[in-house]
Amino acid sequence: MLLGFILKRIIQLLPLLFAVSIIIFTVIQLPPGDYLTTYIQALELSGIEVDAAMVQTLTREYGLDRPAHEQYFIWMRNILFEGDFGRSFQWNQPVTEVIGERLMMTIIISFVSLIVVWVIAIPIGIYSAIRQHSLFDYVFSFIGFIGMTVPGFLIALVSIYLIFVTTGVAFTGLFSTEFIGAPWSWAKFIDMLPRAGLAIFIIGMAGTAGLIRQMRALMLDELRKQYVVTARAKGVAENKLILKYPVRIAINPMISTIGWLLPSLISGEALVSIILNLPTMGPLMLRSLLAQDMFLAGSFLLIVSVLTVVGTLISDILLTVVDPRIRFGGVAS
Amino acid sequence: MSKKLTWILGAVALVALVLVIVLFAVPRAEPAVEEPVVEDPAVEEPVVEEPEVEEPEEPEVVEFRQSPFLDGRGLSPVAERLPRVPKIANELPEEHLEKEVGTYGGTLRLVTMNIDWDADLFVAMNEPLINSPGVRGEEFTPNILYSFDVSPDQKQFTFTLREGMRWSDGELVTTEDVRFAVEHMLKNTYITPTFPGWLRAGADPNKAPGVFEFLDDYTFSITFDEPYGGFLAVMSVQGWRGNDALLRPAHYLKQYHIDFTPLEDLEPMIAEEGFEPGEWHRLFMLRDINNWELGNRLAVGFPSLSPWIMVEAVEGVKTVFERNPYYFKVDAAGNQLPYIDRVESHLVEDMEMILMRILGGEVDFNREDATMVNMPLYRENEQRGGFRALLSEMHVTPTHVFLNLSNTDENWRQIVQDVRFRRALSLAMDREEIIDTLYFGHAVLPTVWADPTFDIEEANRLLDEMGMTVGNDGYRLGPDGERFTIPFEITEHAPDMVPLSELLVEMWKEIGIHVDVRTIDTTLWGTKNTANELFATIMWQHGPMWPNVHWDQNFWAPSWYLWHTTGGTQGEEPPAEVQEFYNLLSEIFVVPIDQHEQVWNQIQQSRRDNVWAIITAEEVKQPLIVNARLGNVTEQGWAIAVNFSAEQLFFRD
Repeated sequence: MLLGFILKRIIQLLPLLFAVSIIIFTVIQLPPGDYLTTYIQALELSGIEVDAAMVQTLTREYGLDRPAHEQYFIWMRNILFEGDFGRSFQWNQPVTEVIGERLMMTIIISFVSLIVVWVIAIPIGIYSAIRQHSLFDYVFSFIGFIGMTVPGFLIALVSIYLIFVTTGVAFTGLFSTEFIGAPWSWAKFIDMLPRAGLAIFIIGMAGTAGLIRQMRALMLDELRKQYVVTARAKGVAENKLILKYPVRIAINPMISTIGWLLPSLISGEALVSIILNLPTMGPLMLRSLLAQDMFLAGSFLLIVSVLTVVGTLISDILLTVVDPRIRFGGVAS
Repeated sequence: MSKKLTWILGAVALVALVLVIVLFAVPRAEPAVEEPVVEDPAVEEPVVEEPEVEEPEEPEVVEFRQSPFLDGRGLSPVAERLPRVPKIANELPEEHLEKEVGTYGGTLRLVTMNIDWDADLFVAMNEPLINSPGVRGEEFTPNILYSFDVSPDQKQFTFTLREGMRWSDGELVTTEDVRFAVEHMLKNTYITPTFPGWLRAGADPNKAPGVFEFLDDYTFSITFDEPYGGFLAVMSVQGWRGNDALLRPAHYLKQYHIDFTPLEDLEPMIAEEGFEPGEWHRLFMLRDINNWELGNRLAVGFPSLSPWIMVEAVEGVKTVFERNPYYFKVDAAGNQLPYIDRVESHLVEDMEMILMRILGGEVDFNREDATMVNMPLYRENEQRGGFRALLSEMHVTPTHVFLNLSNTDENWRQIVQDVRFRRALSLAMDREEIIDTLYFGHAVLPTVWADPTFDIEEANRLLDEMGMTVGNDGYRLGPDGERFTIPFEITEHAPDMVPLSELLVEMWKEIGIHVDVRTIDTTLWGTKNTANELFATIMWQHGPMWPNVHWDQNFWAPSWYLWHTTGGTQGEEPPAEVQEFYNLLSEIFVVPIDQHEQVWNQIQQSRRDNVWAIITAEEVKQPLIVNARLGNVTEQGWAIAVNFSAEQLFFRD
């Protein structure tokens, strides 16, 4: 049953992928000009004369003299038959190398942020619901709302500046200048901690608020229900009662969207990463889109699409496991 | 007369050099016995007889020294790695800097926002064949070349390379490298589809290409069929030209060129790079690193002539360069340059991060991204960050205002093509206020490029004379009876563009002209400009560097200038007075160098009279961020000249 379900979904993946790839390719090509236009403009702004002959040479060098559909076919052919995602124009390296360099760091930061968010938000959400209208509830809701409404990049910018002005330490990236490229050592790790900590805190902050409110709302719904009163009357311990029943229901929406964590782990958070100068995928992607770096941007988006579909599949399966009310084939028969 | 003297002295020097080769051929064959010693035994004599009349310094150099960084690497003695007559660095003129003999060592940290493109690094590493001290275009001295000579009719140029000069991998630089560049690259249509315009007579893309002749291992000549007096200027710094058009490492590139390596041998490499079979030229161009690609990660291992060569790219966030052991320049005391051993270029994601790094003292040199707007912050943190924010001159003009005179809209053309309109706009511009607001007073009223008079009454009178009646809302009407608007489309290439546009809205309201401002995407702006679709824009350009005559013709009349550059095949024919102006621009390349000033003055007069573009200010200053410990830095002259002479920078301690 389960196997059949999975197989059906995977087969659905292929036409979806095809359609997505066409859309991605077209949209990236839509802005006027191409990668070279931006590249040449950058050169000309620095005073270098790029005459028409050089533009032609460069166009040939980058293979941009081919018509769009031919570029598309070559790209898809290379991916499907050789696992070759093409070459990034900006980095002059294969796309897999460019992404690979940053992937580990991105996943680590995203994952730790996620864990931090869960660890903070879920208990707070549950506690806020249980002790509704208490001081604790109000204080955390307030902080949560600030985190939600003030943009993450603004908090990032202000924090770097405040830290610099008060301590004289400039948070100019994940590592201090002297540690970039140096082999891993205890000193390097210690140097990285406060910077990574700041990054994770800021990235997590926006998500925390949303999750707290969500948990709180769902918990409140559940706590009013009959079965809670019954369980309490029957003498079930308070803690066990809360955790085993209402929380399990409240977690439900989280599980159904957990699959989308997969692509978000890879893409990371862009704006805050740019401000904090983190070596993650977010800034990389933004640059590649602005520069119309076709293969890098396109391949990455393609990977993210695949992961989204896979993630949704995982969500669906998890949901059936966690929630006995859900079975394959629609409404419980 | 000086040319004749050059010839004679050149001949004498050549003979002397030949003698030196013969006399020292024997001891050169055996490697010197005592090698761990830093100081090298005297091997040179004729350095005293400097034949170039243009050389400002003529010291007696008897021994050459190298940086301790290069000791113990098994390299040949420094005197053998330098050319027979090394160049004595003269990038900064005497009147701007009293050069010190520096000390070796240190790492110069730079910062950039672009992948594999660091403008400061590029300028520092650029080595043209001929250079101009201070990058002023006033004087030309041989750089990579040993000497140059111009025939009296300005048609034939003879160049001599430095004997004994070597690429960064140790191979000799000879005219074979020039021949390869010209015959197998410039003339190969796969690699160079159109022969470059600057190598044609008068830098005119419609004239015939120059004819090259290779006289011996170190001498070659170029002959044009028409006078091309400005050739030296074009060769030196126009467009940041390097040496890469005429000088390529033939020994390295031949292995990727189809004329020397059969296609079958190239196919595996082509496939490895992911190109289609047969696309050898793409492999070749990938392997060939031209002068602006020297900071690209692909440049590792490529033979170059720059002071530093690329060693590695780290984690996609920084690129590292080390000194070139075969660099051809020395200082007046015989120390091989550069003084600084390593250069690092750090990539950051955001403009604010560059500022942060500067304030935190993590950047040793920055010109490209330092802006006047941040000056207060720089000053506040100079002590703490250990740097100095100098106020040097900017080599580009501050933002100017351009109305597209060749735009096809009839209503628009009728108004803007009338010089009275442009003059009125210029008269209504309160330049003092602009200078104080945008540049904190660090600029002057234009005198060379424009007339700085501020007279609102006269401006109103001119517009009334033109027949632009004032409507009910206080704004003037165009010929079609509707309110006339100047629609600016700008892109944020510099921080003063948006503020300037806001000032203009207010200033031109005083004379009843309505101004509209829109900020658009950079690429879109570029495309619209090329397609002649912009109406008005604000932009800076490389004006003051006069040999670089690509100023702003593309902005105030793209279609007319296109006509001029394509010989009438594309674009729209310009009116007579504009064509006259373009002819002046071409003429400056044709006449001999000593007549340039006359033509230059004529060009400026035309600009003042016709107000082709509306100039805001001149001599704007820009901050130059340098580590407080850096020596051979000057606040005088252009910031970019200091950047260009990076080989003379050194760390004091």
